[in-house]
Amino acid sequence: MSLMPTCQSVQERATDYLEGQLGLRARLGIRLHLLLCRACHAFVDGLRHLPGFAKRALGLPSETPPGSHAALEAALRRIRAGD
Amino acid sequence: MPSPPDAEDELIARAVAGDADAFEALVKPHLGLFHHGILRILGDPMDAEDALQEALIAIHRELPRFEGRSRFSSWGYRVCLNAALMVRRSRVRVREREQREEPAIGPFDSRGHHLEAPGAVPWHVEAEAHGLAERREIRELFLQALETLPDGVRAVFVLKDLEDWDSEAIARHLGISPAAVRQRLHRARTTLQARLRDHCRGGRP
Ligand SMILES: [Zn+2]
Repeated sequence: MSLMPTCQSVQERATDYLEGQLGLRARLGIRLHLLLCRACHAFVDGLRHLPGFAKRALGLPSETPPGSHAALEAALRRIRAGD
Repeated sequence: MPSPPDAEDELIARAVAGDADAFEALVKPHLGLFHHGILRILGDPMDAEDALQEALIAIHRELPRFEGRSRFSSWGYRVCLNAALMVRRSRVRVREREQREEPAIGPFDSRGHHLEAPGAVPWHVEAEAHGLAERREIRELFLQALETLPDGVRAVFVLKDLEDWDSEAIARHLGISPAAVRQRLHRARTTLQARLRDHCRGGRP
């Protein structure tokens, strides 16, 4: 097996790569591939940015959803009844 | 508005002593946060309402053991996540027989080379440029995409990438191996990325 992995192999292991789960040889192979392949570079770059993007996109909404008040009412009834 | 710390301490003391009104005043400012954390794990609003109710009961029960070493809101939030995971465990047994789908990667040719012409600009750059991350539509898109992930895959993504838990803790809570955690994470991230990419490419600014 040559040092240079295929696109498929890079994309299959992209999360392990980003999470620091690969050994030195595998890591270097992917790094080399990413220098030469724009498609995989964009793919891995996108994955790297996903968590931060998701955190902002799925942040706390400004209004408290109505279901949460119903849940509180129900919980208070049980608490007052000595549940 | 959350109460100032002193007022919160007093509410906690009164709630522990059995004052239900104090408990209500204590948790009310954090309801949105608690509900939010639960809903992200469970996806379904009805399940989330039930889990929140159980979580509030658990907070009330555990309150005497709250030592004030963390903020009440973060302590309560953890109790809520645990309640959500309990509800998930109870309902997942049925659904979980995980259909093994491949992660959203490729397409590749027979030698494993990427077939698609690479986009000039990665999706996240376009999305940031248009301020999409802050917009309601991307929130909706994200929630819908999360909803289509199998429960176990979504739970891993939420705990790892939104709640910043480490893989070992997630593995313990979900009763799976750390390798399975990373497998599910890969599946979740690639699926979400594929959705966002399509949206940014096909989408209007
Ligand atoms: Zn490639």
